[in-house]
Amino acid sequence: MKEKHIQIIGIAFTAIYALFVVFLYAAEPKSLEDISLKARSTMESAATKGQIITGTYEVDAAKFAEGLRAFNADNFVAARDAFERADPEKRDAKTQFYIAYTFYRQGWGRLSNDDELFKQGIAAVDRVTPLDRDFRSDDPGLKMHTPAELRYELEEGTRITADDFNPLRLIRERK
Amino acid sequence: MKTESSIPDSLRPPEERAITGELVDAEISVTSDGSVAALSTDVIETIDRTKRSSQSSVLFYIGLPAIFLTVTLLGGMRLGIENVFVFLKPSLFCLIAATILLILFFRAGLIVLDGWFSEDFPAAKNAANGSILLTLFAAATQLFNSLLPERGLPFWIVGFCFFWTLWNNLFADFDTKRLLRSLGALFGLAFIVKYILLAYISEPTGKSWIISVLENPVQEATVALLDLPRFSAGTGYLQFFAVGLFLLGLFLLPARTNSGRA
Repeated sequence: MKEKHIQIIGIAFTAIYALFVVFLYAAEPKSLEDISLKARSTMESAATKGQIITGTYEVDAAKFAEGLRAFNADNFVAARDAFERADPEKRDAKTQFYIAYTFYRQGWGRLSNDDELFKQGIAAVDRVTPLDRDFRSDDPGLKMHTPAELRYELEEGTRITADDFNPLRLIRERK
Repeated sequence: MKTESSIPDSLRPPEERAITGELVDAEISVTSDGSVAALSTDVIETIDRTKRSSQSSVLFYIGLPAIFLTVTLLGGMRLGIENVFVFLKPSLFCLIAATILLILFFRAGLIVLDGWFSEDFPAAKNAANGSILLTLFAAATQLFNSLLPERGLPFWIVGFCFFWTLWNNLFADFDTKRLLRSLGALFGLAFIVKYILLAYISEPTGKSWIISVLENPVQEATVALLDLPRFSAGTGYLQFFAVGLFLLGLFLLPARTNSGRA
């Protein structure tokens, strides 16, 4: 074999081995079995990043539909999980809006709201506007259709105001 | 009808057959009866030299990076108490120490820069040599990561000792053998301090914290004061292998990659 070929093989081998070492230190697997799991998730993440770079990134329609079914059945934890898997890179305004909505509906209470969930909802709804400034949901099942409305409702839910002690709050409805 | 190119090589006349294998520049000696004589000893030596050169190229361009990258992999790897893998990234100090170590290699003639990079070399050779030096740097960084205690007072004490020794060596007159001996002693001592002395103090007892404190209050206090992490005994074996591999890599590292590798 020619020396030049050996040198080229050497460079390629070094690059592949070095990538493997970098992967191990980045993924930090806990055991040998963990390596394959981490490798799969890294490959999936790399593939998604590649889709973003090439402009071919799309939301997983099946997982989104699964999330929507769970959302309509008031199973918000499952819905959020499905939405997050449908849009792992958080680049779709519609999916992010639904994720924020799951936080609102799960955290809503007739007497008091879950502040922690509402705060997470605000963080999620804040991702919608940068993705689509004119986003408006066309879902007739929702009573709030824009990020601004949802954000206002979530912020109001975390504040303590005189209105919170209004007994008429007991007959209000979840949006 | 068969085309010219589809005729198998074995069916072609000898003068039209494709030449495979290596070409040897030698004169063919013909005997008195007209037959071709056996290849001369010069030609056989040339073929042997070519084979040896190919083998040493494989060792140099594939074996050495494999050794150094294995050290890179193992240097930051520890086994937790339940034998789970723990990967520790090198601290900034490790990078600085590795840089000083590489400068030492150049100063002591362990690596001769002109013999590794030259505009007379083909681009592939310069690139391959560069990749080997990169793997050497990565391995040196991870070796310091392996030999330095992870944190706390021991990290600063051993780190200072390393820095002091390397800094002094930087201004001393060294030859390759002395440098390798000095490094062997330095790394050996650091290994003993970390993986025998400190590891003995911080050895997991397998008992609850309260029982350990009651049975060995001094030892537990030392572990807490020195902020020593507890690792499985397998870590020492792993790092012994890594240090040994690094020294083997240094032993195999030629001073120059052009003619007459030292």
